[in-house]
Amino acid sequence: MTGCEDALVAFLLDQVDAAAVDHIRTCPRCRAEQPVVRALAVRLAADPAPTPPPTLAPRVLTAAGPLLARNAQGAAWRAAWPAVARALAAALIPLPAILVFDVALVRAIYSLLGAVLPHGLSLYLVVNHAALLALLLTLTYGAVPFLAARQARLLLQDGYRHG
Amino acid sequence: MGTDEELIGRVGVGDQDALAELCRRYERPLYHFIARHTGGRDVEDLYQETWLRAVRAAPRFDPSRRFSTWVFQIAVNLCRDWHRRPPPEPVEPDDNLASTSDAPEARIDARRLLAALPEAQRTVLLLRYYHGLSEEEAAEVLGCPRGTVKSRLHAARERLGRFVESA
Repeated sequence: MTGCEDALVAFLLDQVDAAAVDHIRTCPRCRAEQPVVRALAVRLAADPAPTPPPTLAPRVLTAAGPLLARNAQGAAWRAAWPAVARALAAALIPLPAILVFDVALVRAIYSLLGAVLPHGLSLYLVVNHAALLALLLTLTYGAVPFLAARQARLLLQDGYRHG
Repeated sequence: MGTDEELIGRVGVGDQDALAELCRRYERPLYHFIARHTGGRDVEDLYQETWLRAVRAAPRFDPSRRFSTWVFQIAVNLCRDWHRRPPPEPVEPDDNLASTSDAPEARIDARRLLAALPEAQRTVLLLRYYHGLSEEEAAEVLGCPRGTVKSRLHAARERLGRFVESA
């Protein structure tokens, strides 16, 4: 069923169908408005459509270049994040076991050295050993996020290259 | 090339070809809308800014929405901001607009008609009568209820009717 608005819009857009004609014929309000709408339609239809200059599209694309690059970078990070999270999780899961093993190892070495060397010297050697282990562990785990992110970036670049 | 919604999704991950295709599809409707809204002033700047805003917001585009209403919403907001600016110095008529006219009097008439409307009524009239958006789509673009679109259309028609009758 065609309402007043639909019928008048049909006249304005020059898309009059049978339903719109029926409506106008039976609706006193629309019958009264129709001449005005017709006059409006003539004037609005005569309004020429301005032509966009041919340089406009290339200008828009050039201006949008940096924004597109930022979008691409953001998408790469969003895509890389799961890989980084997985790598971190895989690295962190065995960490408690490694720490327990290292502490046990340091204690065992301290006991062994304490049996054959003076107390001060054995303590010095064990502390050095423990410090070295802690340093190696820090370096190893500190590198995990960077290596994972780099790997994910390489995978993404590879994916883009192969479509 | 895909639907408009797929293309803007690809723009969201930095695809320039997708943006070029969207620009090709919407160049005329958007350009015409802005030109009619502003009476031909600052059209190219507003058109470019519409696309830049669309590209910036593309990663957050909700694929359940229609791209056409979304991009017109951006253009409407920009045109509204443009109308809020202090009025510029009088300018010469746009050569580009003038060159396309077969009937200068009719063109001036239509532009005067549109200029006679308040901004909200002009926007709704352009969306509905020039660009053929449905009432629902126009309401979505304007972020208002369908009833408001209807009442603004009615008010615009009444105002234009008086203008036409007095002319």
